[in-house]
Amino acid sequence: MRVLYGLTFALVAALVLMPIGALVIGSLRTSAPGVPGEWTLANFAGLASAGVLGVMAQTLIIGVGTALVSVVIGTAIALVVHRTDFRFPNLATALIGLSFYLPSFILAMAWIIIGSPGGLINYAWGNLLGLPGKLDIYTMWGIVFVMVLHNVPFVYLTMRGPIIGMDSLYEEAARTSGATPAQVLRRITLPLLGYSIASSAILTFITSIEQFAIPALIGSPGRINVLATQLYLLCRFSPTDYGLAAAIGLVLSAITGLAIWAQRRVVSNARLATVGGKAGRLAPIPLGRWRWPAYILTFGFVMLALILPTLILIYTSVIKFFTANPLLAAYTWRNYVFIWESAATHSSFRNTILTSGIGAALGSALGFLVAYFSLRQRFQGARVLEFLANLPFGMPGVVIGLGLLWAYAYLPLPVYGTLAIIVIAYITRYLPYATETIGGQLVQIDKSLEEAAWVAGATRTSALHRILLPIAMPSVQSSFFLLFMAFFREISSAILLFTASTMVISISIWSFFDQANWGLASAMSIIAILIIFALMSLILWLLPAARRR
Amino acid sequence: MSISVNTLVKTYGTTPIVRDISFTVAKGEMVALLGPSGCGKTTTLRCIAGLEQADGGSIAIGGETVSDAARGLHVPVHERAVGMVFQSYAVWPHLSVAENVGFPLSIRHTPAKVLAERVDWALDIVGMRALKERQPSQLSGGQQQRVALARAIVGKPRVLLFDEPLSNLDAKLRDTTRAEIRRLQRELDVAALFVTHDQTEALSISDRVVVMDQGRIRQQGTPKQLYRFPENRFVADFIGAASFFDLTPAGEPGQWCIANGTVIRVDGVAPAGGGKLQGMLRPEVIQLLPANAGAASGATANTNTLPGRIVERHYLGALTEYVVEAGGTRFKVHSANDIDTEAVQLNFSSRDCQLVLADV
Repeated sequence: MRVLYGLTFALVAALVLMPIGALVIGSLRTSAPGVPGEWTLANFAGLASAGVLGVMAQTLIIGVGTALVSVVIGTAIALVVHRTDFRFPNLATALIGLSFYLPSFILAMAWIIIGSPGGLINYAWGNLLGLPGKLDIYTMWGIVFVMVLHNVPFVYLTMRGPIIGMDSLYEEAARTSGATPAQVLRRITLPLLGYSIASSAILTFITSIEQFAIPALIGSPGRINVLATQLYLLCRFSPTDYGLAAAIGLVLSAITGLAIWAQRRVVSNARLATVGGKAGRLAPIPLGRWRWPAYILTFGFVMLALILPTLILIYTSVIKFFTANPLLAAYTWRNYVFIWESAATHSSFRNTILTSGIGAALGSALGFLVAYFSLRQRFQGARVLEFLANLPFGMPGVVIGLGLLWAYAYLPLPVYGTLAIIVIAYITRYLPYATETIGGQLVQIDKSLEEAAWVAGATRTSALHRILLPIAMPSVQSSFFLLFMAFFREISSAILLFTASTMVISISIWSFFDQANWGLASAMSIIAILIIFALMSLILWLLPAARRR
Repeated sequence: MSISVNTLVKTYGTTPIVRDISFTVAKGEMVALLGPSGCGKTTTLRCIAGLEQADGGSIAIGGETVSDAARGLHVPVHERAVGMVFQSYAVWPHLSVAENVGFPLSIRHTPAKVLAERVDWALDIVGMRALKERQPSQLSGGQQQRVALARAIVGKPRVLLFDEPLSNLDAKLRDTTRAEIRRLQRELDVAALFVTHDQTEALSISDRVVVMDQGRIRQQGTPKQLYRFPENRFVADFIGAASFFDLTPAGEPGQWCIANGTVIRVDGVAPAGGGKLQGMLRPEVIQLLPANAGAASGATANTNTLPGRIVERHYLGALTEYVVEAGGTRFKVHSANDIDTEAVQLNFSSRDCQLVLADV
């Protein structure tokens, strides 16, 4: 048992500390990793330049703007769907759930096709209707718009639980005190949900400032950069400045770390609040004349975030040359034929399934061990293990990618350029999610179940294997599901690590789009979306546990 | 001795939980560890099971030392071969009834045939054989309790440990299960230790009771000894209802002055240890009569009589609890009679009045 603990500890420490260490060292050097250089603080001085400060301000504006708008819309939809006599709650939940799984880079691509100066909206606006003026998505507000579309499902899913699980006692008390349903909503329900709303807003802020694909795709034509894309540019395009990139990575991690600390504070305060307990069925608020605005809000969102992008991608994938007018288009299957025949895309699909499957299995196993050792067997240093395993929460994907890139440049390990390094990046980034998912169930399992096994003659290891693991299995399956879907869509931590032979689907789509081959990028996106939705239904059907998520 | 606990000490951080306690449980004997919550009784049980590592003293099971802090000896829990029933039953939710009960055998690689026979045997004893294929989620609380019991005995352990096993059952079920545990323990003829905070449970189930408070043993003895002859106020109070009153020696042996100077006769002797003494009377040993009723029936030279006044009445159904002010102190009296007058007389035998050490 102690051996297992030692191994877990060593593995987690290596996974987490290597990229951070490499980043810190890199930020203090004058040259690229692996190349002779000198120690310096100049990179941190470089952070104070007008350019970097501007990017930082832009990142924060985009993050705060996205968080605020997403939380308002997401909470409104959740309230409409779960607190009123809205007619199609299950349909709305299912569609918003699907849009949650639509990868960010695919959403961004679709909206570029729709909203760029040469895109669909402007064609319809200018050429068909002859109206003046142009819509341009390549702006900061374009980035915020797409990020909001991407984050609203997350807000909806996080607010859904507190709204459904809220003790109806407080609302009933307000109703009997003479409050109308609308007054109850404003004076009781929303204030009681305050902590959940705040927590959801901070988490949205974090994912927004970490977000790489959306600002990279939409921001680059207009040279609108955020910290994550700036870091990428500094590493990939000349003039490269690795030291500054590392310093930016550390700053970005510090901001997210701070935000996570704030979110934890909010959540621990929320435990004092009275939301929770047994969920009662409160009479739904009648929508009345608000019925149609409610439909427009909910299904309008689904239209913009899921249906329209998917339709556009299908359209773009079957035409020869891009034209905004479907009547003039020349239709073709050649993109799908190309994907079917190309060895490169085959290997990209294979690589994705391999990295996602193996990564999710290893990540969940490691997550189980970390949760077990930090919650159940408090050996010496268990708190350190817990802390280490939670560190990646504060590390954006590109930052982990950069850290790993350098860690293996410093170290003489033959990992660079293999799928292994991508799996390592994925596991590192999502280890906290695995640990939290499994730990959440482990704490609910009565300690005496394990003790009863020891008393019955089982060693610690066999009690773990025969009692705790089977009981905790639903959460391990949930974790596998969560990681698999995340890895399948992941792009930010792989973007600095891939090579021609280790392309994954997300990177392939990215490169097609980068080469202005919208047709192939769209076709591949459609296939990816189909695979994601098919896997989701398969997993939901196979694993009853995953349904609870 | 099947269980022998010698000068056991357990601390959490700097907080002492168990402070230097010693007791034994003989083969075939049922001993209850009784005390208020936080007194260290469960910790003591967990030290015996091996779930906690003792910081001082030693523990032997069946003559074999399993824990000796001085020698750094701590036999791991899975090698101690004890049977234990947990407060929450700890019936594993992913295993069927038969698999739950068979677990202690399967972990020791018992051949399948023997295992099946033993599982049936254990389930027969608790009357659960018919439900052996059920899942725990399909069982009631009382049935889960029986599964836990069968699992504890299936490996024929040297000792049985019970950690408040009845506290999650409803009142009726608690009585029948208690009787059943007692019957089972006698049949198996093993040493058993039973942790509880319920004094009725402790008195009715055990051969001997060990009363603990703040990590120390306050008294141990048979249920009758503890109830009738408690050594100190804590034990007297914890084990049942009682009235306590201050006493001063009245000069002659067996004669004591109470608060207002009245002299009463007390047969009991002062417990060893020294310290301030108090008189103790159980509410049912006092005979309550109206003041004008004349001498009590069956009064002898040993009968003490005090005039008094009823200050509170609590009707409890089978009897009424009266609080009577007499002799400058207050007495709790249980009587089946309805007494309407305020002025009363209290009669009690010198044999029923005990001397206990007042708690400081």
